Amino acid sequence: MATQQVEAGAAGHGAEPRGKRGEDGQATYLIAIAEALWEEMERDDRVFMLGEDIGVYGGAFKVTEGFIDRFGPERVMDTPIAEETIVGMSVGAAMEGLRPVAEFQYADFMSSGFDEITTVLSRYHYRAGVPLPVVLRGPSGGGVRASSFHSINPEPWYAYAGGIKIMCPAFPSDAKGLLKSAIRDDNPSLFLEHKWIYRRIKEEVSEDPELLVPIGSADVKREGSDVSIITYGAMVHKALEAADALAQRGISAEIVDLRTVYPLDEETILRSIEKTSRALVLYESYRFLGIGTEVAAVIAEKAFEHLDAPVVRLAPPNVPVPFSPPLEDAFLPQIADIEAAVDRLAGW
Amino acid sequence: MTSIQMPQLGETIVEGTILKWLKREGDAVARDEPLFEISTDKVDTEVPSPVAGTVTKILVDEGATVPVGTALMEISEAGAAASGDAAASGDAAASGDAAASGDGATSSGDAAASGDAASSPASGAAPTTEPTPEPSGGAASSEGSSAAPPPAAVTPPAAPAVPAAPAAPVAPAAAASVPAAVATVPDRGPRSQILSPLVRRLAKEHDLDLAQIAGTGSGGRITKADVMAVISSGGQVAPATAGATAPVTAPAQPMPAPSAGIGEEIVPVSHIRRAIAEHMLASTQTSARAWTMVEVNVDHLVKLRERIKATFQERYGLKITYLPMVVRATVDALLEYPDVNARLDGDNIVRHRFVNMGIAVSYDAGLIVPVIKGADGMNTIGVARAIADLAARARSHQLRPDEVQGATFTITNPGPYGSVASVPIINQPNVGILSFDAIVKRPVVIDDAIAIRSMVNISMSWDHRVIDGEAATRFLARVKENLETWDFAEDLGV
Amino acid sequence: MPLPAWLIRPGTVPYDVANAAMHRLAERRLADEIPDTVILLEHPPVFTAGRRAKVDELLWSPDEVEARGGLVRMIDRGGSFTFHGPGQLVGYPILGLGSRPDAVDYLRRLEEAVIGICADVGVASDRRADVQTGVWVGDDKICAIGVRLMRARVTLHGFALNCETDLSWFRGIVACGLPDRGQTSISAQLGRRVDVSDVLPLAERHLAEVFDLSFEPAPDEIVTAFQVADAV
Repeated sequence: MATQQVEAGAAGHGAEPRGKRGEDGQATYLIAIAEALWEEMERDDRVFMLGEDIGVYGGAFKVTEGFIDRFGPERVMDTPIAEETIVGMSVGAAMEGLRPVAEFQYADFMSSGFDEITTVLSRYHYRAGVPLPVVLRGPSGGGVRASSFHSINPEPWYAYAGGIKIMCPAFPSDAKGLLKSAIRDDNPSLFLEHKWIYRRIKEEVSEDPELLVPIGSADVKREGSDVSIITYGAMVHKALEAADALAQRGISAEIVDLRTVYPLDEETILRSIEKTSRALVLYESYRFLGIGTEVAAVIAEKAFEHLDAPVVRLAPPNVPVPFSPPLEDAFLPQIADIEAAVDRLAGW
Repeated sequence: MTSIQMPQLGETIVEGTILKWLKREGDAVARDEPLFEISTDKVDTEVPSPVAGTVTKILVDEGATVPVGTALMEISEAGAAASGDAAASGDAAASGDAAASGDGATSSGDAAASGDAASSPASGAAPTTEPTPEPSGGAASSEGSSAAPPPAAVTPPAAPAVPAAPAAPVAPAAAASVPAAVATVPDRGPRSQILSPLVRRLAKEHDLDLAQIAGTGSGGRITKADVMAVISSGGQVAPATAGATAPVTAPAQPMPAPSAGIGEEIVPVSHIRRAIAEHMLASTQTSARAWTMVEVNVDHLVKLRERIKATFQERYGLKITYLPMVVRATVDALLEYPDVNARLDGDNIVRHRFVNMGIAVSYDAGLIVPVIKGADGMNTIGVARAIADLAARARSHQLRPDEVQGATFTITNPGPYGSVASVPIINQPNVGILSFDAIVKRPVVIDDAIAIRSMVNISMSWDHRVIDGEAATRFLARVKENLETWDFAEDLGV
Repeated sequence: MPLPAWLIRPGTVPYDVANAAMHRLAERRLADEIPDTVILLEHPPVFTAGRRAKVDELLWSPDEVEARGGLVRMIDRGGSFTFHGPGQLVGYPILGLGSRPDAVDYLRRLEEAVIGICADVGVASDRRADVQTGVWVGDDKICAIGVRLMRARVTLHGFALNCETDLSWFRGIVACGLPDRGQTSISAQLGRRVDVSDVLPLAERHLAEVFDLSFEPAPDEIVTAFQVADAV
């Protein structure tokens, strides 16, 4: 993998200018996302952005720094702190033929617009036959000491709505390609950017503005033969590190990065299980009713005769994300936890 | 021996009526051949046999209506020397009388599992552990079996306990629902009868006999790797044998009894004696036996025992002896040195990831080695109970065939009879047998001064084909270290 | 995921021929040589009785039965006397129930299929678990169900749904051992003729649904076993 972990900028209000790849030409996850937005805004006039502080301020995480100068305030629209209205406006705009990309300062705040997302946005096409090409995007996930108002993994809530495609990329190239696909897709999408990854991971990212990553396809990030780790988001990176440590002990872990969590790429998941016969489902949202629960059920139901061990989930408990660093570390699955879970599976 | 029970043909069907026996006692029966006809309130059917063999017992009359699960008949499986209730092993070494396997050979657990072994894997881990007094090893005078057994609380073997709690149960339902598959997989370890869905499917697709595949997974489980190894090596391997040359059974014609000379008395060899003799001889002819000894300072254990023995007796209803502590210390060393907890199978060393501890017990008929299955999952109290129970039942001739098979290592304790060092014969197909001799107060040198301490010699006969002196010595050193440094008080709950 | 299954519709088949062919197919199903198979047919008039049948539940003497053009046969299912004859759809599903058969579940599904068939033609029916397996319209039985297992895992016999059966035949027996219950048929319930050929496609559909099967016609050599006088 041509990725590196880089020094983290301060959470939230960092100072890295937009548009600058590193001297090696690599882009961080955050830059790759910014590039996707920029390229799609240039490609299609109907695409516009709205959100809190995205215009003049350049975005809480500086994703949209410089955008308003290039695209103007009508296409890079600062909104009040009113998430429900942001979603409602996006719905209305999409009905009128525009392609809105709404930024949420933290994915946690999307739930202020929960009803608009789940009752209106996700069902509108079913009710009225009118497609709504809306993208809701924002930083999700924890591990950055931002506590329970700024660390949520909300994908299960919105996956339940049923009408929204949900993406949680782990790598810069995937992020760029998937966001572009989401913007071009006529269905509503939720694009969750894991904030822990923003400035920590960088890699070679294509400059081809037409290079897309298909929605609904998972990717094997590391081939292995003994255990499959099915995961997404920041956990992919932890899993990769754990896999290195495991390899030293002679356990070969395969890592499947879901990339899109709804709809699931069952085929890739099942193919991996057929190969290894053991499944560890690793996810950062709460264990109960998380995405991993669905993955585990699919594996148990459709790959039963390929299993040499029970399907095991590893995920945080259903408690508010702690603020205290040692508590947050205890809350999240760590590399040692992943190794231990794989050890047990391999020795079952 | 396979027990055939009244099947449950539907969830709400609670009983059935035997309409007609299709087989009589003594009849041979093939696998899937109908045994009897039953009628329930919803449906009638004939019930086929899950195994091939001979009908040894019919337990219920024609016309009787019995609840689901009632034992109806017993079948002794093909190849068995059907001798009363001591049904001997299945495919491999038919070691004659399974009740008498001494230091020589155990028929390596190749026997088909008995009906009760085909129960849930968790209970397979700890067969019976009602505590009763100690074995010959533990006390010079065998205590009367007076104590009423308190409930056995045995820890099952270390099942994987994922902290984030696994979504699926640990053990799949491999139990009596598939009587054919489970009944033919021998009880080689606490989890040897757990067959994962993948393993079952592969066995079916490639027409493999799972009974012939050694499980190298935790607790003896047959893993995907085990099955794949067989498949990629081109099919079923020859039956996993005991490694020992199978001792032959009695010669066809008895020798004429010699007449006693003057000053001589003729005592015909009992058939248990003969079996022991054959096993011992075969063992010495099989293993390249070497022997190592260490001296262990058990002063603190002697003091501990003095201090707690009354409380222990009161709390647990049995006498505490040193043997359970030695077993615990040895189990730890075995897990640390897996080549000692292994057997030689052709060109492969099969390491067990669990410990079935054979305990040599001396009784009226000679010598027998009951096995504590899953000893690696027990604490000292559990081991003490297991020993007490097995020894008592050994003496009253109540051990089941599966309880004298499957040892991965053996301990003998001649100490109570006074020996300070012994050279035991390896219990095939183990790699080693440990002897725990008498504890004796001796002068020893500590910090360049002479002190009196309780010392014991612990020695091991070991098979030089599999391990070398260094491994053997390190292993014993570890046992010694454990005995000398562990705080058994906590483990004994006193 | 529906399992592929064979469907055999041989028309009217004498009881002995059908019974023998059914048993042979069940043996082959046991050996996994053939897939699940369903036979839908009619019989010429016959009274069949299972193990629990009491002789005095045959009210007509065998001579009387023969004089009317019927037969009497004692067979290997459980249950008491029942009647099969023209106008009655008889179904013999030969299904593998697996090593852990749930016969109760199988019977319930058969009932469900028949209830579905009746509903499709406009007859409201239900099961009467408190009385007996089968499908009922009020106190009258519209479909008898009697099943046996081979080697405790393959089904034999099945169901008999009265479409336009001549119900007077039932006077010759204490049907199903229940003297106080009557018989009825689809035609009797609706007051108009509904014959077996009307019901056959519904039966196919409902059986496919409750047992999750995907039917295809059985090969010719299987079907001919039902058509030859002395089936080989």
